[in-house]
Amino acid sequence: MTITGLIGAICMFPLRAIIALCVRLRIHPNVLTFVGVVINVAAAWALALDRFVLAGIIMTLANIFDFIDGKVAIATNTITRFGAFWDSVMDRFSDIALFVGLIYLYSQLGRTDYVMVAALAMMFAVLTSYTRARAESIIEKCKVGFMERPERIVLFMIGAFTDRMAAALWVMLILSVSTVFARIYYTWRTLNGEVAA
Amino acid sequence: MIPERDLPVPLRAVWHAFYWTFDRATWQYDVMVALILAFLWLTPPAWLGDPTASGPGLLGWLRQVLGR
Repeated sequence: MTITGLIGAICMFPLRAIIALCVRLRIHPNVLTFVGVVINVAAAWALALDRFVLAGIIMTLANIFDFIDGKVAIATNTITRFGAFWDSVMDRFSDIALFVGLIYLYSQLGRTDYVMVAALAMMFAVLTSYTRARAESIIEKCKVGFMERPERIVLFMIGAFTDRMAAALWVMLILSVSTVFARIYYTWRTLNGEVAA
Repeated sequence: MIPERDLPVPLRAVWHAFYWTFDRATWQYDVMVALILAFLWLTPPAWLGDPTASGPGLLGWLRQVLGR
């Protein structure tokens, strides 16, 4: 087993208990998705106020809801097409909220350079999901590129907890740009028959 | 046309880092995560002009210790 696989397996222990509790309480997965977004907005607020450790704690809580909604939907047999759409839209909302919190903070500090870094990282984070969604309307699968939502969220949390948000933003920006271009290139290759569709 | 096949090994590693096709929980993923964490924690915040970070970072701290 790999190190990241082991960390994932360890994190699954408490999450399984939370999922079982939500199933027992019959909480609808769409409600969990919405609660996750509301908590993420609170995290964005904490980021905007330069309260990074608090933001990290709130983000951890928010992302528990974010992670378990799909699992609860499977366990309670309440998977719907609207639920998938709702989850996807709310994920974008949460992503953008966190970036907006940082953009507000850096603008308050008079740091136009980091306003631009955060804005560009936000732009390419949105494009990461958009390129995949559009690609998968014309090819079967487009799951290339490293910087997907889970990686971005973990980077936000590590940046907040260890007070290294600028470095985390640079990683998000560079790898989000490469992910978007990888998806464009992969789609082009697939449509030209160079990759098995 | 698969250009990465013709690249030398170090350049192919860079190619695969940016044109990422590996799953999570693979050794390639572990290496990528280690490189990202190294960048995050070793780079002195002053090098990036970090507006909020405090302290010199691990690398900056080591330079301070070795410079004494």
